[in-house]
Amino acid sequence: MSDGILVVGLNHATAPVNIRERITFPGDESGQVTRLFREIAQIQEAMILSTCNRAEVIAASDRPADASEEVIESIARIHGVEREPLRAYLYVKTGKEAVQHVFRVASSLDSMVVGEPQILGQVKDGYRRAADANATGPILNRLLHRAFFTAKRVRNETGVGAAAVSVAYVAVELAGKILGELRDKSVLLIGAGEMAELAARHLAGKVEKPIQVTNRTFENACSLARKLEGRPVPMDRLEEGLADADVVITSTGSCEPIITAARVRTVMKRRRYRPVFLIDIAIPRDVEPQVNDIDGVYVYNIDDLQAVADENMGERRHEALRGESIVLEEVDKFLNWTTGLDSAPTIVALRDKFEKIRSGEMEKSNGKLASLTPDQRRTVEIVTRGIINKIAHDPISFLKKTGTESKRNLHLDVAQKMFKLDGLALDANLEEDEFLDT
Amino acid sequence: MELVFYKIAILFYIAASLAYLLFLLLSSGSSAPIAFWCAAAGFVAHSLSILHRAIFSGFFPLATPFDAVSCFAWIVVGIFIVVRYRDPSPIFGSIAIPLAAVLMLFGSTLAYQVDQPLVPILRSWWLPIHVTLALAGNAVFALMAVGGLMYIFQERLIKRKRLGRLHKLLPSLEILDSINRRGLPLGFFFLTLGIISGALWAGSVWGYYWTWDPKETWSLITWFAYAAMVHQRAALGWRGKKAALLAILGFVLVMFTFFGVSLLMGGHHAFKSVVAGTTVP
Repeated sequence: MSDGILVVGLNHATAPVNIRERITFPGDESGQVTRLFREIAQIQEAMILSTCNRAEVIAASDRPADASEEVIESIARIHGVEREPLRAYLYVKTGKEAVQHVFRVASSLDSMVVGEPQILGQVKDGYRRAADANATGPILNRLLHRAFFTAKRVRNETGVGAAAVSVAYVAVELAGKILGELRDKSVLLIGAGEMAELAARHLAGKVEKPIQVTNRTFENACSLARKLEGRPVPMDRLEEGLADADVVITSTGSCEPIITAARVRTVMKRRRYRPVFLIDIAIPRDVEPQVNDIDGVYVYNIDDLQAVADENMGERRHEALRGESIVLEEVDKFLNWTTGLDSAPTIVALRDKFEKIRSGEMEKSNGKLASLTPDQRRTVEIVTRGIINKIAHDPISFLKKTGTESKRNLHLDVAQKMFKLDGLALDANLEEDEFLDT
Repeated sequence: MELVFYKIAILFYIAASLAYLLFLLLSSGSSAPIAFWCAAAGFVAHSLSILHRAIFSGFFPLATPFDAVSCFAWIVVGIFIVVRYRDPSPIFGSIAIPLAAVLMLFGSTLAYQVDQPLVPILRSWWLPIHVTLALAGNAVFALMAVGGLMYIFQERLIKRKRLGRLHKLLPSLEILDSINRRGLPLGFFFLTLGIISGALWAGSVWGYYWTWDPKETWSLITWFAYAAMVHQRAALGWRGKKAALLAILGFVLVMFTFFGVSLLMGGHHAFKSVVAGTTVP
């Protein structure tokens, strides 16, 4: 069955941004577009995954080779683009490769920024839309639940999403490591600039007090303060600002350092030696290098922060390798399941089906059986149960017999088809997974 | 047989220490909870051991060096367990539990027999009060020293911009400093009460409150050292690295007063007097 899993899509590695922003499957809010793919003749189940770096159709098909052509055709048609030029940006994966791909995507190992946490939610959204539109079935259910499980394992067992990889996040994390809880801390922004603003914005999300903004020209301070919902402070009251703030971001165009060691020493006394974190984004530097030697003062410039971010990125890549081996492990488990190496689910499903038929029939005859005494009723129960057990006995022992793998596959497949077990067998196995936990 | 609970506790503490070590080396997420539960199991066994000793000796089990060290380790682990509910970061346990394990191993080499019945002077309610207060002070100072050591490591890493694995494992400077900030008054409070209770006990037995016995002298020196720390912290705003260094130095003094004085200098705190009955100052 795993041969029947098909992935057609493009991502940041195969398509430039101008293509990616065109292929977005618009109008799929309630799964209508997903339905279009589901309605392709060779496709039994389908879902769409669409993010700003990725657009994919994941499908279960009995003839994946034919189906992939149809899928490409549909993608082209939906987005009103030519099919042939589009093909160059697409990847088509089937079977094991497709399973591995889905698991890697969900685990954020295939992301542009490896380990970024949003992708799992996006996969869940796509799956939920498809499930709501009745476009999924046993195979995709199982595939996606295993994908969520794998993603959870990768997240818990490796550090792939652990370390901050952007300068602004590194700054926020570091502020936490120095100052502890940031909620009651105050932030001072000196000067302006894109990076400074970004760092301030990230910090603003963590602190309750409005950010203080100061600038050589007070008007600029006012307008930036408005943007950051902060409070402007005139430059001549910088010393007071420094005495008050726990995190200082500086990014002025000054040629001379505006924060000198002598100045910081006086300020520290006024602060009663409360620690302070100085983030120097300016070039040339706003903070004298000797300031870092003062007790309780921690100075990081943009290069320091970048170096930490790079190091964290390297660590993520290293952790990603561990993630890959978890993915491979889970892919194997999944394939074992689909190729029916494990006959248990089929047997369980078979029993369930028989029991369902029995109890269904009993229910139907409820009226006619109303005159029976409880004892007689119990006897009927026992007799009917005995009948189905007898009927089920031979097929079940047949399925349990260990033959060659291919023979067993065939037997399980025939049994599943003969008794229409697909849905049951798969659903019975889903209970064990924890999924959709966010 | 008589120390069976104690031995079980040691085994659990060692297992917990190894699990914490594993956590530090591999940052394997699953070993930290295992370590904690081992430590908790050890704590239960340890509590039973103390209870057992109490029944065995017929009184509060603090009269031998063995019992004193055991009780000391017990308080350290107890504080750790309380702290862990406030800060679940495993790093604190990675230091507190091995510390307890070492104390326990050391304790197991010490004399624990109470051959003769306790001398009457030790069969007093002053014994548990005095010793528990003194040990509680020691335990708080021990954990402050541990926090101080961690602070110094973490602060060095941040200053030198080496934000690797160790940096990520260690708690924030603020949390580490708060161990000092909260521990200092608490430990000082216990130490003060420990000294006062000792003096009152001596007064009630001998009529002299203070005899300049070596332990008393060194306890007083320790008291002045911590009093100075409290002053520096409260009045001059000493915090962070300076406070961490002082906590470590202070603890060296505490350890000398606790072990060194008893073992080297004698006096009525030397445990041998407990059984020999020569408790006259």
